[in-house]
Amino acid sequence: MKHPEKIFLDARELEHPIPLERAMQALRSLHMDNYLYMIHRKNPIPLIDLAKEQGFNLHQQEDNNGTWHILISRDRTLDLTELCDV
Amino acid sequence: MFDQNGLSLDQAPPISVVLRFFLSGALFGIVAGLLILVFNTAIFDPAAIEAVILTHTLTLGVMLSFMFAALFQMLPVIAGVKLTAPVRKANMLQYPFILGVIVLLFAFYSGKVLLFTIASFLLGGAILSITVTMLRELLKLPNHSSSSKGMSIALIALGILTILALYMTGTLGGIFEGMHYLQVKQAHFTFGLFGWIALLIISISFQVIEMFYVTPSYPTLMHKHLPLSLLILIGTGTLLSPIIADVWSFVTPLLALLMVLYALITLKRLTQRKRPITDATVLLWRIGTGLLIASMLLMLSADYSGYTILAKLSYLSFAGFAISIVFAMFYKIVPFLTWFHLSSQGYFTAPMMHEVIHPKTAMRHFYIHSATLLVLALSLFFSPLIYLGGFLTLLSFGWILWQIIHAWRLYLHTQRTGEKFEMNIPTT
Repeated sequence: MKHPEKIFLDARELEHPIPLERAMQALRSLHMDNYLYMIHRKNPIPLIDLAKEQGFNLHQQEDNNGTWHILISRDRTLDLTELCDV
Repeated sequence: MFDQNGLSLDQAPPISVVLRFFLSGALFGIVAGLLILVFNTAIFDPAAIEAVILTHTLTLGVMLSFMFAALFQMLPVIAGVKLTAPVRKANMLQYPFILGVIVLLFAFYSGKVLLFTIASFLLGGAILSITVTMLRELLKLPNHSSSSKGMSIALIALGILTILALYMTGTLGGIFEGMHYLQVKQAHFTFGLFGWIALLIISISFQVIEMFYVTPSYPTLMHKHLPLSLLILIGTGTLLSPIIADVWSFVTPLLALLMVLYALITLKRLTQRKRPITDATVLLWRIGTGLLIASMLLMLSADYSGYTILAKLSYLSFAGFAISIVFAMFYKIVPFLTWFHLSSQGYFTAPMMHEVIHPKTAMRHFYIHSATLLVLALSLFFSPLIYLGGFLTLLSFGWILWQIIHAWRLYLHTQRTGEKFEMNIPTT
């Protein structure tokens, strides 16, 4: 099985609202063989709500350092939990 | 496919609700510039009616309009409060509010009893009803952040401030005898500056400084307890003032100390940014908090020395503090809202934030704003400069007005001509 391509976005040191701007650009470039992997200092609720509303596959998890890992894919059969580094 | 209404309409009010309050704030700012040109240095005499008219143009017309814009935008985003029917609520607030401010300014100018009564009904009804509505929604929240708690306390202060104002206009309108007029006037002044303007800015800053500028958070003791401490101090001063005549001489230094502490920590946080790129908004926060410190020190110096020039500089610095922070918020909110509303509606061609208001445009305004404050301060010593101060005030708020019009036109243009993005997420 082909491994999906990871689009990585480290938004931990980006000032609001640049993380949201970059993530929304990334969402538009998603196809069935890739996924967005974003790490952020906050849980980006507007992005999460948007992804849910538009029917994307979504996984979000906070690690022990308080960093949020947000994975979004267009392919809803993709197991994002397995791809999460937490 | 992106939903036509977009995420933003669930999370925040339509962009027009926020922009229209900014618009009325900018227009009242232009009125303030004209008033400075007409009234000249009489605006610096606290006992003169000219100063009262200009102060209420700035605090009610400008500050309250901008703060309502910020509240309509921030309550859903920061506090998670969902205001139902935001357009209707904005209409019910804004029209009587604008009319009420204009009538109040004419009431001050003419001294006509009827105008004070009309202004009381218009302003009292509009401000108290939206304050109660917003507070009711805030109190329903199961969990409070420091910002949502602080906003609730600031709104309580706004409610009390309005009731105190109604007592004063009621007295001037002949409804009350006004036995406690002087004590109420002092309480109204303190609630307005510390309880409403400063408290709201402080509460919002607990969230936005960390979020916008990637700084460490404020000390826990400060963000958890400062807003309530301020309200308790001001409330105590108000309640005790009829019994202890000089109660404010104890309360005011404490308030000033807390304000200076807050401002110093904010300045420190702004030096601890992870990406130290300086833009106009950072400079506006720096100049604003710097002016808050200056205002408090000048106020205390004036109280102890009796030099009226220090009191005048203190008022001017406080106005500079509040307007600087409001401008900083404006340059963050308007580009973001324009881009976010269009993006969430799926427009490929949504302008990026720097295309809505270019950082250089904001920086030019920062220079105009700084020059305005400097020239107005200098006009205390060299009175002909007041004309330049009035002109710069006109230019400063005209600049803001143009940015609002530009953002709105860009928004409508994109909606009219923009290409929409199709997600086509499979539904099975």
